[in-house]
Amino acid sequence: MDGTYRPGPFGRSLAWVTALYLVLPILIVIPVALTDQRYLSLPQDGISFRHFETVLTSPEWLGSIWQSFTIAVAATVLSVSAGTLCAIGCWRISRRATELVRVLMLLPLIIPSIVYAIGLYRYFGPLGLLDRFAGVVIAHGVTGIPYVVITVSTALASFDPRLEQAARGMGASLSQTLRWVILPRIAPGIFSGAIFAFIHSWDELVMVLFIASRDVFTLPRRIWDGINENLDPAMAAVAVLLILFTLALLMADRALRRRSEG
Amino acid sequence: MSAATGHALGLRGLTRRYGSFVAVDDVSLEVGQGEFLTLLGPSGSGKTTILMAVAGFVAPSEGAVLLDGQDITPLPPEKRNFGMVFQGYALFPHMTVAENVAFPLRVRGMSRAERDEKVRGALDLVQLAAFAGRLPKQLSGGQQQRVALARALVFDPNLLLLDEPLSALDKKLRAELQEELKALHRRIGRTFINVTHDQEEALSLSDRIAILNHGKLVQAGAPGALYDRPRTRFVADFLGKSNFLEGVVRQPHPGGFMLEAGAAQLVVALPDGEPPPAAGARSLLSLRPEKITVLAEGEAAENIVEGRIVSWAYLGAGFSLRIETAGLGEIRANLPTWRSAFAPAEGLPVRLGWRAEAAVPVAEDVA
Amino acid sequence: MSSVGRPGIGWWLLILPAFALLLVFYIAPIVQVLTISVTEPSLGFGNYQRILTSSAVQRVIMTTLRICLITTVLALLLGYAIAYAITLASPRARGWWVLAVLVPLWISVLVRAFAWVTLLRRQGLINNTLIEAGVITDPLPLVWNEFGIVVGMVHYMVPFAVLPMLSSMREIDPRLLAAARGLGASRGEVFRHVFLPLSLPGVIAAAVLVFIFTLGFYITPAILGGGKTLMVAEWISLQILDLIRWGLGTMMATVLVLAILVTLAVFSRVVDLRRIFGAGA
Repeated sequence: MDGTYRPGPFGRSLAWVTALYLVLPILIVIPVALTDQRYLSLPQDGISFRHFETVLTSPEWLGSIWQSFTIAVAATVLSVSAGTLCAIGCWRISRRATELVRVLMLLPLIIPSIVYAIGLYRYFGPLGLLDRFAGVVIAHGVTGIPYVVITVSTALASFDPRLEQAARGMGASLSQTLRWVILPRIAPGIFSGAIFAFIHSWDELVMVLFIASRDVFTLPRRIWDGINENLDPAMAAVAVLLILFTLALLMADRALRRRSEG
Repeated sequence: MSAATGHALGLRGLTRRYGSFVAVDDVSLEVGQGEFLTLLGPSGSGKTTILMAVAGFVAPSEGAVLLDGQDITPLPPEKRNFGMVFQGYALFPHMTVAENVAFPLRVRGMSRAERDEKVRGALDLVQLAAFAGRLPKQLSGGQQQRVALARALVFDPNLLLLDEPLSALDKKLRAELQEELKALHRRIGRTFINVTHDQEEALSLSDRIAILNHGKLVQAGAPGALYDRPRTRFVADFLGKSNFLEGVVRQPHPGGFMLEAGAAQLVVALPDGEPPPAAGARSLLSLRPEKITVLAEGEAAENIVEGRIVSWAYLGAGFSLRIETAGLGEIRANLPTWRSAFAPAEGLPVRLGWRAEAAVPVAEDVA
Repeated sequence: MSSVGRPGIGWWLLILPAFALLLVFYIAPIVQVLTISVTEPSLGFGNYQRILTSSAVQRVIMTTLRICLITTVLALLLGYAIAYAITLASPRARGWWVLAVLVPLWISVLVRAFAWVTLLRRQGLINNTLIEAGVITDPLPLVWNEFGIVVGMVHYMVPFAVLPMLSSMREIDPRLLAAARGLGASRGEVFRHVFLPLSLPGVIAAAVLVFIFTLGFYITPAILGGGKTLMVAEWISLQILDLIRWGLGTMMATVLVLAILVTLAVFSRVVDLRRIFGAGA
């Protein structure tokens, strides 16, 4: 809207309070991470980076970060390849015929991860996938598919179906049409989906609590243990690093979208 | 035209149903080699569905598509080797003009050098060689249309299919491109099949027009033949404008009959070999407004009707008159302005005249 | 004649990998585990009778519903204010408002729960500040109870509430608001009679979304509830990981899934589900 009609004082102040409520508590971890004390507190005599140093020199933290990263990358590859193909197929085949697939794709967003987690706990045992890299990748990859399907479908919604017809009419096979016409056009949507799928895996805790224990010990799992066992400023340092990382990913996504729109 | 040199495309009883809706109803049609055929009809007449069935994007519910006598109905679109210009052109927005034109060659695995040469040739053909490196969005509508044409022709297709190729352009550009398209067709001598709802475009471009309504083929023929001798009320009405005169057939004889319409007795001449209707039958005549003249004092004509001008409009090249006649109701007539002796005025009494072969018996449409 | 081509078998093959993955590694594990609720410890609906007989089970369900309702109402109220501000903001300001919603949405839920613990615990920043300022002498019980859970849950859910409401508010033609004012309506009347009714579909969609997300939420209640206030997700985890009572745990999981599906089914009549889950699905 053009801003000529403005909310009243009550609406405005409630919006401001809400925005502060959303943002400030997250920002509070920054000064806490920079404290010079050994316990969770605001800096007293000056700021210190020693808690960042603690984290970045700790083999446990670094190991978990690396493990989370590799799992997230592998899971993203799985989600993106399956999700993109599925979105394209659903787009091309009529909506009615693919209704079941579409509903299926929504389930991981609807069903609480606790339910899936206990399911996997039981299911992965006989398959030997408990506490395995592959097991976590499958769990995260499968539940990441909906994010990719949604972003790619959105990108496809603005894709002219006649381009696909034109390509086929000129003799292009299905795979040529995919590679040369469809995929280049929806690349930004795929990239967005990849970022969301990555963040989904990177932050995921509930499934990991059930299907991983010792060999696979991801970053969220280590944070969880930290919150439940020893609340120290190193945790705040980890939180700050995570916030920066997430922001960087979101910025990349925004920049990419802007470029593809411009 | 060149229809004598064997058939390039044939439709045999082509039918397409969507549920209970019949989009194309038992259409049979032959398109000769090198012919420019236009499928003309209002929206929803099934013309685009026919084109899509020819291209292979729509599977017929019944019937067949034949290319040089061979059934190609089961072939997928990419195996048919037909060039197609889509409505809105469907140029790939992420490829340059040259890449767009090269696309059909690339999918055929042609070498880069050969590809470049062909692309240059095709762009020369549509006079766009200078724009090879541009993206489609950097071109005007007319240029985009020509790129689409070059892309559809570059791989030597068996047929060129055009889906409303000019509808996205403004009127003036449309007229220019009509001429270009016609010249291109003459130059390359390929079979073109065009779909449009624009009757002027159909008349000016085509060797032959097939008129469709409600999924059925109503009449096909050369533009002049269709315009002069429409067979149904729909054709007469859709292709140009027409007056319709209804009456009872009297005195049928080889070469013509009399039509008793209200108080008037009209003389109707038929072309050679067309049998007259039976005496006493009801008949409907189509009479084009420009075939009616306003008779001068003492001037004679085979058919004469008297009336008064109800309203008139000046159209530059001519006058359009609405005349309330004594026995035939309201009649529209178009007069060229160069007959400057005539000055229309409301209420002016006039005598209208036309020749016996001007009025054409047409059938009522069966819905 | 847009895209009514004939999709060949190839297009179906594109769907196959995702479909198979979901079937084998998503649907199958869930179905398998939920059937345990009628097979362990013995065949039948014994586990489900506990809903009627066990006060512990009833307490968990009641606590969960109470927290869900409070969270939903608060998240809608705050989310509506933000969505309203975004809708009416100038294009420049809008970017910042949207950022204030999207950034929290994507920051790890663990980080956010940790931040709340830092703020709310007995020696946390809020209690310490208040004590130092002399406002209170004993720390307030701000966390490890229902209050803490609600604070953290509302914080988590507000962005989810904003998105559907925002999309429905943006469909409102701004000229309608100008027209209403031009016809003599006060700002309050314009809001009550024009804006609010037109944004209602978004509000309902947001309510459904927040409610079903809250029902099965695990991490925030587990951290901010401190094990004293149990919601169903944590209760299920407790049954299965600590007490090894699969029958009870899966019974509650089934109830949870059913509650969510029923909520969705009921509201799908009132509101377009695509509005809830985004355009693509």
